[in-house]
Amino acid sequence: MSLFRNFAIGLRSLFRKNQVDRELDEELGAFLEMEAAEKMRQGVSRKDALREVRLERGSLEIAKEVVRSGGWESFVETCWQDLRFGVRILRKNLGFTTVAILTVALGVGVNTTVFAAFNTLALKPLPVRNPAEVVRLEQWFASGASGDNQYAFSYPEYLNYRDHSRSLKGVIAASWLAPVLATLPTESPSAKTPVEAVTLSCQLVSANYFSVLGIKTVVGQPFAERENSATLASPVVVLSYPYWQRRLNSDRDVVGKILEVNGASFTILGVAREDFIGTGNPPRIPDFWAPLDMQKQIVPGNDWRNEPRNQPLQVIGRVADGISVGQSQSELNLLTRQFAQANPEVDKTIALTLHRATYFGATDELWFRALAAGMMAVVGMVLLVACVNLANMLLARAAGRQKEIATRRALGASRSRLVRQLLTESVLLAMLGGAAGLLFSLWATKLEWAGLATIIQSLMGSGLKFAPLTPDISVFLYTLVLSLVTGILFGLWPALKSSKASLTDVLKDSACGLLPTKSRLRSFMLGTQVAVSIVFLLSAGLLLRALFRSQAANPGFETRSVFHLSIDLGDDPVKAAILRRQVIERLKARPEVANVALADRLPYAGTSSRPFLAETRTAAAKGAPGSSLLNYVSPSFFDTVNIPLVRGRTFSPQESEGELPVAIVSESTARHAWPGEDPIGKRLKLDLKFSGDWSTFQVIGVAKDVRFFNLSRTDPAYVYLPANPSQFSSLLFRAAQSRKDTLAAVRGSLSNLDRGLSPTLGFMSLDDFMRSQQLLPQASAVFMGILALLALALAAVGIYGVMAYVVSRRTREVGIRLALGASGGEVLRLLLRQGLIPVFAGAGCGLALSAVVSGLLRTALAFPANPDLLFGVSAFDPAVYAGLTTFLAGVAMLACCVPAWRAMRVDPVVALRYE
Amino acid sequence: MPDKPSDLVQGTLDMLILKTLALEPMHGYGISVRIEQMSKGVFRLNAGSLFLAIQRLERDGLIDGEWKPSENNRRARYYTLTAKGRKRLDNETREWGRQVAAIGRILETP
Repeated sequence: MSLFRNFAIGLRSLFRKNQVDRELDEELGAFLEMEAAEKMRQGVSRKDALREVRLERGSLEIAKEVVRSGGWESFVETCWQDLRFGVRILRKNLGFTTVAILTVALGVGVNTTVFAAFNTLALKPLPVRNPAEVVRLEQWFASGASGDNQYAFSYPEYLNYRDHSRSLKGVIAASWLAPVLATLPTESPSAKTPVEAVTLSCQLVSANYFSVLGIKTVVGQPFAERENSATLASPVVVLSYPYWQRRLNSDRDVVGKILEVNGASFTILGVAREDFIGTGNPPRIPDFWAPLDMQKQIVPGNDWRNEPRNQPLQVIGRVADGISVGQSQSELNLLTRQFAQANPEVDKTIALTLHRATYFGATDELWFRALAAGMMAVVGMVLLVACVNLANMLLARAAGRQKEIATRRALGASRSRLVRQLLTESVLLAMLGGAAGLLFSLWATKLEWAGLATIIQSLMGSGLKFAPLTPDISVFLYTLVLSLVTGILFGLWPALKSSKASLTDVLKDSACGLLPTKSRLRSFMLGTQVAVSIVFLLSAGLLLRALFRSQAANPGFETRSVFHLSIDLGDDPVKAAILRRQVIERLKARPEVANVALADRLPYAGTSSRPFLAETRTAAAKGAPGSSLLNYVSPSFFDTVNIPLVRGRTFSPQESEGELPVAIVSESTARHAWPGEDPIGKRLKLDLKFSGDWSTFQVIGVAKDVRFFNLSRTDPAYVYLPANPSQFSSLLFRAAQSRKDTLAAVRGSLSNLDRGLSPTLGFMSLDDFMRSQQLLPQASAVFMGILALLALALAAVGIYGVMAYVVSRRTREVGIRLALGASGGEVLRLLLRQGLIPVFAGAGCGLALSAVVSGLLRTALAFPANPDLLFGVSAFDPAVYAGLTTFLAGVAMLACCVPAWRAMRVDPVVALRYE
Repeated sequence: MPDKPSDLVQGTLDMLILKTLALEPMHGYGISVRIEQMSKGVFRLNAGSLFLAIQRLERDGLIDGEWKPSENNRRARYYTLTAKGRKRLDNETREWGRQVAAIGRILETP
């Protein structure tokens, strides 16, 4: 009650200021009057009485001030006053204000951008009801295999969890996105022109998918938890919002219409809400969802229910009330072990972990956390540097306000009051900068998100479509708090320092500055800034050169007209083998297809290397590779992909079928393993299973060097082994004529092969594989370039600020020197020396650091499977080093010279008179 | 000329004001006169600290203020003790008694 009363009275004080003031006046006046009257009754004259009262009881004005400042509203008033004053001061020095705001904007903006990305990847929960309860299942295999397959479960496994777990109150399953041929719903089913079938992506989900997650629809209904038999009779689908918006123009009448999928009719039940983008890890949104029971229609040729080797489902559960995730995990582990015992042929799942469901399952892993921490540290450093700069600039400016501050202190302002006011100014500056930074970050986020997504895509290697990065309240809060902290951080020290001004010193105009003109700490910070800038600049420069190289990189083999054929042959291995033979035969029969080949590994799509030993009669060559890249290929491979054989021959069909121990090596492998000798007939050993068991092969041919594994460097060592055609490997074919004609012909010849196959038919030219490899240098160069420019700008501002301060302090000295006859040049050199020494020291350190880091990075190239980020550009490229150092030196000189030059122009008489 | 007035701790001043108002409602000057009388001149209140304390007490709801005509035909603000104020006074008095007794005991032991 008293809090409310306090608040109410305080409000009245704020808004009815005059009236409250008058009342206080009246009350205090009455008090003093009555006291004076008492004295007068004792015989003192009125004048004396009043004087005595003032002495004994305090003056009216002071009493008023004491009472007024006792209420909370006076704090609010003074804050408001400080704010208005701060705005006026900032407007008076527009130049300084602009630079300061920009600096803060850059620092905060960069931090916000990185945080927003991190927020979406790791912190943002799935857009479902009560996301804290939703967990994703991840399994661990006895073979130690890792990756996406840890989230892939078979149908029987899913049923096991759904039916037997008691700690999860709902278990749902979602498949990968299956391509299907569908016909869009039309008004008149019997139209004159046949409606074109299009390829859509469908996700098969359990019937309780939407209900467990709590997803609502924008029109129509989601799936209800119905029994299987009911679903089969009247199959339904739910459309996704993006598809509905894009292809169906958000037509609300689609509910109830028929969607023909792979020949079967489905009724459209509803459209999911806009913010629901699925639960996939990584997030991919399908065009529509179909119930799991319709699997045979959507993905024909497969039988998920009864084929435990097929693992197409991601499993997500909702933890029951009152149960912790740990408890649930224990129960599920038990279930997993029971299942493994009952089904021994499956690759044993030995453990299960539950993760809070975010978009990416990998956010708990070490490498992700290290990456995130690293990036936040880097941008945090940038902000810190910005703060240091601003603190220096504020100090320089405060030097000019000494008089004002000293006068105010003399008039009775307490030091804390002054500090509060100065801090308000810097916080105001920081908030404005933060707002600008937020805007800048919102715009840059789109760019950076694309760049970041590209980096992750090229690292993880699959064609992901990322969920849009939507800014939310936590990003805004983060920016707010960061701006506030920034403002206090760079404002506190100057505020404390400058509020110490003693009036006597200032009025005497003694030339004492706030800081000694030579400060070790300041020089050190300046040097560090320059060093960091150099490192960033050099990295950016090298990456830029690498970017140019990457655009012109030549893979060495044919990419434009060679295609990879992807097709789902079903999960019955016998049937799949037969189908494959048929596919190969049909392809070979087409005149548009020049050649067909099989290969285990596709270019730029993953690595496979094994330990390598060369058998030689002479002493082992020093340069022999310790491990080599490996590929199983069919005899027609070299012809199809156009890798010439410089010696020997390709595999014969017998060698292929029988998997005889022969091998073809690349030129550089031969050169390093048997220098100066003829490699044909030599033997080499490979440890194929990493078990210490070496298999021996005889060399029958030498292939030209190419860049098959990585576009950035020639494969250092490559061995080709014969592939058994019945083994599962990728199909490649080369087009003899124009791409379009060939693809259409192939599609035509395969379309009637098996009804279920045609929707899954896909072509990708090797060119496309190559393109994705060129994206990484692009993204890295842009990212690093932005950081480098930022660091440089901040360093330049820092140097300028410090020089300006130093020069302002030494103006009188400059005047004296000039008056005593020193030339302008001499004085200039004197001033410059002070500024430039830390700059050059910092530059030297930065160069040394870069050299060390480059050296370390080079050692990574020893492994054949590691990409060369620099595409062959030397890490000590002299052009880059020399050019950028000169550039930095130029910028530093400029930043130093401008304040020094301005000091030079001052008339010595004025400088001496300078107050 | 009275001695230089002792400085009162903030909480104690509040208590004294409450006690003064427990007898009868009065205005600020009256309170200061009464306190000076009852303490035999030991406590002479400064206008600022007195009215600051009164403002605090009023905002906490321990006393109520009202404008009324005063002796010399001017307006003055008269304060009365509220029920909450009375309760606070009782508590404080009891607590004060306890503390004084305890300190006395400590000081008296040789």
